[in-house]
Amino acid sequence: MSATTLEGAAAPGGGRTSRKPNYRRRRLWGEVGAVAFAIVLVIWTVGPVYNMVMVALDRHDDVFSSHVFPPDPTLNSFWIVVSEGYWYLEYFWHQFANSFYVGIGTTFLTLFIGSLTSFVIGRMRINGGWVISNLALMTYMIPASFLAIPFYLVMQYYDMSNSLWACIAAYVVFATPYAIIVFQQYSVSIPIEIDESARIDGASPWQIYWRLYLPLMAPALVAVGTFALLLAWNDFLYQFLLLSSKRNMTVSVALAQFLNSDEAPWNYMMAAAIIYSIPPIVAYYAFRRRMTSGLTMGGVKG
Amino acid sequence: MDGSAAQVVDVGARFDVRPRIRSALWLGLNRADAIWALAFLVPYIVTFVLFVIYPLLYGLWMGSKPSLYTDLFSDPIYQDTAINTLIYVLVGVNLRMVMALGLSGFFMRKSWWTKPLLILFILPWAVPALPTFLSIHWMLNGNWGLLNNLIWDVTGWNAPSWLDERSYALTSDIVAYIWKWLPFWTVIMLAGRMAIPRELYEAADVDGATGSRRFWHVTFPLMANLYLVCTLLGMLFTMGDFTTVYFVSGGGPANSTQVLATLGVRDAFVMSEPRLGVAAVMSAIPVLVPLVVLLMRRVRAAAVER
Amino acid sequence: MSTISRRSVLQASLGLAAAAGLSRPYIANAAAKTASVWWTQGFIPEEDAGFEKMVADYQKVSGNRIDYSILPFVALEQKMVSALQTENTPDLIAYDGIQTTMVMSAYANKLVDVSDIVAPHEKDIAKVALQSMKLYNNVEKRRAYYAVPFKTASVPFHVWGSLVEKAGYKMSDCPDTWVERWNWFKPMQAKLRADGMRQIYSIGLQMTTNGPSDGNNLFHYWLLAMGGGNIVTPDGHVHLEDPKVKNAVIETVRWICDTYKGGYTPPGCISWNDADDNNGFHSKLFLMDLDGTISTELAMFHRPEDFNNCVTLGLPKGPDGKPSPAMVGAIGGMIPTAAKNIDVAKDFMRYVIEPKVNSDFLKAGLGRWAPIYPQQVKDDSFWLHNENPQLARHLTPYVEETLLGASYPDYMVYNPGYADVEAQQVWGQTYASVYKDGMTPEKAVDKAFKQVEQLLARYPTTA
Repeated sequence: MSATTLEGAAAPGGGRTSRKPNYRRRRLWGEVGAVAFAIVLVIWTVGPVYNMVMVALDRHDDVFSSHVFPPDPTLNSFWIVVSEGYWYLEYFWHQFANSFYVGIGTTFLTLFIGSLTSFVIGRMRINGGWVISNLALMTYMIPASFLAIPFYLVMQYYDMSNSLWACIAAYVVFATPYAIIVFQQYSVSIPIEIDESARIDGASPWQIYWRLYLPLMAPALVAVGTFALLLAWNDFLYQFLLLSSKRNMTVSVALAQFLNSDEAPWNYMMAAAIIYSIPPIVAYYAFRRRMTSGLTMGGVKG
Repeated sequence: MDGSAAQVVDVGARFDVRPRIRSALWLGLNRADAIWALAFLVPYIVTFVLFVIYPLLYGLWMGSKPSLYTDLFSDPIYQDTAINTLIYVLVGVNLRMVMALGLSGFFMRKSWWTKPLLILFILPWAVPALPTFLSIHWMLNGNWGLLNNLIWDVTGWNAPSWLDERSYALTSDIVAYIWKWLPFWTVIMLAGRMAIPRELYEAADVDGATGSRRFWHVTFPLMANLYLVCTLLGMLFTMGDFTTVYFVSGGGPANSTQVLATLGVRDAFVMSEPRLGVAAVMSAIPVLVPLVVLLMRRVRAAAVER
Repeated sequence: MSTISRRSVLQASLGLAAAAGLSRPYIANAAAKTASVWWTQGFIPEEDAGFEKMVADYQKVSGNRIDYSILPFVALEQKMVSALQTENTPDLIAYDGIQTTMVMSAYANKLVDVSDIVAPHEKDIAKVALQSMKLYNNVEKRRAYYAVPFKTASVPFHVWGSLVEKAGYKMSDCPDTWVERWNWFKPMQAKLRADGMRQIYSIGLQMTTNGPSDGNNLFHYWLLAMGGGNIVTPDGHVHLEDPKVKNAVIETVRWICDTYKGGYTPPGCISWNDADDNNGFHSKLFLMDLDGTISTELAMFHRPEDFNNCVTLGLPKGPDGKPSPAMVGAIGGMIPTAAKNIDVAKDFMRYVIEPKVNSDFLKAGLGRWAPIYPQQVKDDSFWLHNENPQLARHLTPYVEETLLGASYPDYMVYNPGYADVEAQQVWGQTYASVYKDGMTPEKAVDKAFKQVEQLLARYPTTA
């Protein structure tokens, strides 16, 4: 069915020929409007980031003068960050690695624990599986920053203060319920008969999980994995509370040190922040398609 | 327990085709499978007990002294703080979700610039929170901030100071928060939209539904559950938001834009009274519990629908 | 106890005298032990280097090991509070910020009494440093030293002398009385603006409620200058009905709000965070402010032009003609009762408080923190006659203000409830009641006083 036929059929009384130019004009205006909106969106999105870039490019004295473009831009700040040339940035690359460690640890554990749990609930279909998924959801009853204070105190009891694993534990706890929900919804689209025939062939649950379930769930795994990675990468409060020594800090916390000083070189801080933003952008770009397909299946079916 | 006895047997049978006596069923599975199931569940259960249950119980204990609440409510800024939190959550989340829904439609366009635009659009989510919010704090400065400089350069108007008045500061906090998290929810909404089968749209076209009618009659009903779940989840996340308010408005001016999370941290660490801090955030429970119950119902409803 | 004879008493006292006479106040252990220490990260790398050297030297002379963590300010605050809450503490904590946790912990009997470490040096230490560590214990109902002081700080004036001259004034004309001095700067902004500095203000008033200390410092210095110093007395009781106190507070609030309304301070000052006023000063947004320590100047140490153009001023006289007192903050090392190696921690603090060790440590930090021994600043030319003349211009008035003038400790050491008054930024909110809600200063102060009374009543003191 072509568009023009439809248009012609739908028009109350107009003939076909009078519809065509109007349609094209409407589409043109529509496109113009969309482009205008896109420009607004770009300005909205980039605004604060532009401010960060501008501060990063500023010379020390220019940071708080009133200007829209950097009067004397320099890449010096970026160089200082990369070469760890400032006191607070002494361990920048080590802290960057810590951030990765936390992010990747969170991702793998969330995927592993989340997929195992949703496998049991959704594929093995145990009785009372709904109890577990509801309990998981109850984690969200306590918003993250509410749990932070007791969590921090409890980590001291476990002797895990100033430990990257404490952060990983916190993020896994917050990402897993989401993972369970997404996995369950996604797995609806995978017929249960696959599992059954594997069972008949004598496969153990572990083999079904490892060889059938996980590969079929790949898009959802990517979606949830990216979510978990970005959650860990993005968070501030938990890392700030749980990590205190320079060697164990992640970059988010290291950046907070700049707030300590009476005259911090904000340009270095912003340059470090920009460098820190690159991995999530790359991750998103690489996994974009898988992410969107993994997030949906079943979430919307009627 | 959902389902009748018959269903219980059925479930077990489906996974393991060998017939057996009902009484040997554990969790609806035969013994060997049940052991596997338990083994698979152990990681989550251990994690949950160690890192959710224990801190939660500890937190509940910390917040259990009644005198804490009298101290809390007698703090002159408590009432405003609670109101701020409500405004922040209700306005911030709903505005953001509407924008996310709309933008998800926008990003369905087939223009050549849609994909790169989407990648750029992710930027707020990808940049770390602290420097970004600090940057926004500077941008909004009445004297030398980027925003007012720009406005002055373009229009010659001396725009007001965005952080020096309660309503402006709270609005700034909300706008900053939406700015940061809109991409995340837009992507989720977009994924939801993309999952709508094309046949439904084509059928709608045949019936003559276009534009907004198509949206209300095809798209929205299918997205409704996802939208609701996201809104509820968003509200829960936002109730606990600390970083935005702390760095953008600092809870000022004159403590007028504090939210429960920032008040809690202040009480815990600046006033060196951790139990009071926990009480501050616990005081939100009357609002949190209904939200979670609703959320659980909605997620369950979505599961049952299949 | 019939076994105590004159001889045994004599022997015991001879032994004690010998031990004291050896003037080796720290013990060299045969069996080396370890203590864990949490120390605040300095504002400049030199401060940390000084600390690490002190630790290395201590380890050499004592044979003990110090397992230290240098933590940023806010991180240490949070860890400290949590450690004391869960009773899982290090052996020694030295926190450079507001001493809320210290006074609250002492009140709750969670700190070790360290009077024995302070006692040998008591007569040499500045009175205000001693007062800052003599805290009330509500379980034992007494006051004692619950922390060992080792550095002090106060809040001087910082002025862009170059801009004062640009406005056509001379720093030598700067008034020596409190209110006149502040008012002297006011006309300068008009002159500078006419001269092209579009965005300049005369004064940077930290009227903010964003912490932690700038807003409270500003208020306290005004309070003291205007004669309200007795608002809380060493017995922990509050005296808000005292007309002198009440008047001082009202006049302070009135002046500050009038200055704000008059446009002499950047309007954004009501929502400044801790870094904003420093940023403002460095970018010459305003001519002068009252801000803690000389770190503002020291941060410009490697930029001679700015360093030289900036002027540090001590305190002038109050309206009554007497020198305005400073509110001096003292930092001390505290030992939690839950610590596992209390002896080693005490031993380390004995070393730290040694005049020579202390002096070397503070000098390594370029003088950002002042000593606790007034005689030291008089004897050692580093402090009042530094060989670097530019550094001396800043250091001398600062040290004089901190150690050689009239001073009060922070009131929270008398009553922990005052720590809540500061944390809740009661005074900052009072300004808001005036400029935003339109109350008169008298009414706003009444409202504030009710809150102060309520907060202090939560911590009764009987000594």
